[in-house]
Amino acid sequence: MRSVAITGVGVVTPLGSTPAEVLRRLEAGETAARRPTGFDPAPFSCALCAEIPDFQPEQHVPEPKAVRLMNRDTQLAVAAARLAMRDAGVTVGATYAGEDIALYGATGMAGLPLAEVAPLVKHAAPDGCFDPRQFGAVALKRVRPVLSFKILSNMPISFVSIFEGLQGPNAVYNPWEGQGAHAIIAGMRAVLRGRAACALVGGCDVKTHELAFVALQQHGVFTPWRETGSGVVPGEGAAFLVLEDEERARARGAAMYARMTGWRTATMPLGDSPAATYGDLLAPLASPVPAVVVSAAEGNGRARDAESQAIAACGVAAAPRLAPKRHIGNLFAAAAATQVALGAILTKRSPAGTRVLANTFGFGSEQAAFLLEAV
Amino acid sequence: MNRVIVTGIGVVSPVGNGRSDFWRGLVGGRSGIGPLTLFDASTFPVRIGGEVKGLDLAGLAARFPGARGERDRKVWLGLAAVEEALADAGLVAGDMQAAALHVGVGLEVFFLEDVARIANAADPGRAAGALVDGPADAQPLQTPLDRLGQVIGDHYGILGGRYTNCSACAAGAQVIGEAFERLRDGEAEVALAGAADSMLNPLGVGGFGLLRVLSAENDRPQQACRPFDATRQGTVLGEGAAFVVLETLDRARRRGARTYAEILGYGCSMDAFRVSDPEPSGRGAVLSMARALADAGLRPDAVDCVNAHGTGTPKNDVVETAAIKEVLGDRARRIPVHAVKSMTGHMIAASGAVEAVAAVLTLVANTVPPTINLRTPDPECDLDYVADGSRPMTGRTVLSNSFGFGGQNATLIFGRYDA
Repeated sequence: MRSVAITGVGVVTPLGSTPAEVLRRLEAGETAARRPTGFDPAPFSCALCAEIPDFQPEQHVPEPKAVRLMNRDTQLAVAAARLAMRDAGVTVGATYAGEDIALYGATGMAGLPLAEVAPLVKHAAPDGCFDPRQFGAVALKRVRPVLSFKILSNMPISFVSIFEGLQGPNAVYNPWEGQGAHAIIAGMRAVLRGRAACALVGGCDVKTHELAFVALQQHGVFTPWRETGSGVVPGEGAAFLVLEDEERARARGAAMYARMTGWRTATMPLGDSPAATYGDLLAPLASPVPAVVVSAAEGNGRARDAESQAIAACGVAAAPRLAPKRHIGNLFAAAAATQVALGAILTKRSPAGTRVLANTFGFGSEQAAFLLEAV
Repeated sequence: MNRVIVTGIGVVSPVGNGRSDFWRGLVGGRSGIGPLTLFDASTFPVRIGGEVKGLDLAGLAARFPGARGERDRKVWLGLAAVEEALADAGLVAGDMQAAALHVGVGLEVFFLEDVARIANAADPGRAAGALVDGPADAQPLQTPLDRLGQVIGDHYGILGGRYTNCSACAAGAQVIGEAFERLRDGEAEVALAGAADSMLNPLGVGGFGLLRVLSAENDRPQQACRPFDATRQGTVLGEGAAFVVLETLDRARRRGARTYAEILGYGCSMDAFRVSDPEPSGRGAVLSMARALADAGLRPDAVDCVNAHGTGTPKNDVVETAAIKEVLGDRARRIPVHAVKSMTGHMIAASGAVEAVAAVLTLVANTVPPTINLRTPDPECDLDYVADGSRPMTGRTVLSNSFGFGGQNATLIFGRYDA
């Protein structure tokens, strides 16, 4: 019976780009939530976001000229994926053939800031209303073809495959945290079923620009801010994990963060109680009690309370909790991989057999939780 | 390991809506390409596309209140196909609670009308804010890609996992392949899998036009998409949707379901080359097909027909031809190869699902649809492309390819199922 081990972690977050730094700052109680630097948030119910202040894509993208083809989501994905592969010590061709490495990723909604979308339509609405004839006659001629690469939702993962040389089984999911969890599980399945020797899984998202804020507000994500004065703080970042067959990882002398011993997913029906769904998810993973819970809680009272209720109902309320979203913001499509990555780091510094529960609860219907064990 | 059967089919496409009309269109060599009417494209370099006609939007809105007011056309296309697939399988909402739902979709559409209001305002930030202060029933700037899956899932009460796949042109095949794996591995007994897409809007037509992959033969739309023809100048965008109901053989037998065909294998790969061009040697395509064959436990000689990706772009068709020859060897020249896109255009994320339905119906009807518009042989495309009308199908298996923008590839293999 195969088992899956996490052997590499790559994160690029508002609180740092190494797992150790992120965890240190989280545990020190630092927060990256600030007023957005790129736009005035006054029209929105939420006035905060968590930005990465000093990200230099040229330092991470192997072909600097390709940076102009990428939106920020893609740049972050390429960076985090590269960090994860290096961290695992996986070299394509030497450790595994590229065709033996699977790639499953999640990307988010609203991938471009207004400054990049605006030129598309700047000259297509002479009287204020969009006119497709003007768009065809004038605006299209002023748009650089590379814009298409920034809009397509699979591009972050495509660029990762190109720069890392990965040719294995793959898929791209979208747009919320639960679909990010599906990406992780798809990679685990690929390894467990022998369809790949190794899988790079993760996600990326950027929700720190004004069009993302428009989308989030329109889809009700900011509603708790209006009702309670607290809520989701949108963030930006990417996280990737290298998953390997544990036996093969051990054979090559890989350092292992954790063994992935269990996972559960649930589809939450429209209008259903999150507490009940979370409880059903956590119950099979709660015994024996995990040493730490990587909580999905953020400033949203309803979801936070639902998770607390579920944790209490499963008898794990005594376990210490780490709540990354309160500090680095909600990374949406990247959140699941971030939660599991932080769980993996906590596991690695713990004695063998220590269990860490990573909750990946979020928007949309899909919810998941992962149980990690120190090797 | 469970065997997995296709027990329901739903499809809307430029050549016909509904399984029967779609199939009549394909077998009859009906082109669904024409001048674009969904928006005023008169100033665009490309003004043709494969539109779905005759869709009863008002009826769909009445039957799917969860989608009412939705501006994203692919949601409606998808709902129409889902409705037919479930009815065709004889399943209703109560049967679907434990089902897995795998939905493929393409580009997230910005509604340019709204973006224009922001971009042209004296104070864009304030204009963006005005959008969010609109009436409660105002439609959002963007439709999240999981919208179709949410509407389907909530409407039919599907709780066995909802997966939204955006793997570009490979998405439609990937979702069927992933659902197949799930059923085969015993994680579910029934799945609804398919894809929907429409790029026939200013952003889609304009964006793909900028990438120079579209034929601009606006004066002869029905001849514009010519897969494997030496004079081909590019693909033509289409729109459509297809969903299939998949069940384990045991479940299908238990309930006496109709059995269209069996899924035998699935493979996928990445080119890891460039985001805009296929890898010239066809390595990614070869890997995808070889994996599907291995997954099915079949030798190349067992493949009886290839439903090609066949876009009509100069590069794709040469690379795909070479890849088919490498994987199938001598067998490649002895079996029919055909390209549905010659009639439907390239439906992007939906293509793989629509073409999977075509592959299934090829087995059911014992007929291979034609590749229309193939008149001038290309020395580099030297397989038997079924150019002169439909042809009787002999044999038991069809291999269907979908290769995506960005380098994602997927292959499905369907087999005849004899009860």
